[in-house]
Amino acid sequence: MSLEELAFLVLAGIAIGTALAALLVRELVHTILWISVFFVALSAIYFLLQADFLGILQLGVYAGAVTILLLFGVMVTRKRIFSREAATGIGPFPLALALVSVVILAGVASGLPTQPASVQTYAPAMLSQELFTTDGGWLVLLGLTMLSALAGAIYLVREGRE
Amino acid sequence: MTDFVVAQFVGLSAALLGIGLFGILTRRNFILLLIAIEIAINAAVLNFVYFAGFATGPGGVSGQAAAVVIVGLAATEVAVGLAIVLALNRQRGSINVAEATTLRQ
Repeated sequence: MSLEELAFLVLAGIAIGTALAALLVRELVHTILWISVFFVALSAIYFLLQADFLGILQLGVYAGAVTILLLFGVMVTRKRIFSREAATGIGPFPLALALVSVVILAGVASGLPTQPASVQTYAPAMLSQELFTTDGGWLVLLGLTMLSALAGAIYLVREGRE
Repeated sequence: MTDFVVAQFVGLSAALLGIGLFGILTRRNFILLLIAIEIAINAAVLNFVYFAGFATGPGGVSGQAAAVVIVGLAATEVAVGLAIVLALNRQRGSINVAEATTLRQ
């Protein structure tokens, strides 16, 4: 087992553990702290896969912006930010559905090659070439979506709306 | 050049998708729902990134381009979701999605 493979297994364990912890702890602020560790672990996996630009994007957008947005959401919606969530019973149906989906996907994964394969490295210049020429339409669509989302968000939170 | 096993990555994505689905189906707090959706979306982005890495040929980089677009969309979704949280909190004083029943007959 190579050092990179070991590092991946450790990071995958951290990602799964923090994702579970984020959904199972009772205090919302602790959830957000766990989820920020989850985002950092995923960005480390991207760096391991030599997708440096995506690793930086993950750190900036998720570990930075999304975490702060979620904290802001917690801050303005409760009087005491460390108050606990009411326990919700976990029914058999959601647990069964999640387990079945994992089993199906694990079955698909077991059919994939188990021989180590080398990872291709793309320079950020190649990625920007792709984003602004071949896949340029997607970038324009993303921009339009963000613009309409901005307008929608302002509409939702504006004053004097009943 | 580093070597990895493809099946391990798909297994990680499957586990994260399962955790996200579990959270979406069981949590009643709107912010926890958003977080569970983010976990599921991140599982999908992970797939795009490593299949771009394992692709042979020059077209593989489009997988990373797709991942960039998805990350942007997910961030947009969180922003709109939090706007809904604020509106819900102002109207009902609670962000429990089980209590948002205005459209129910």
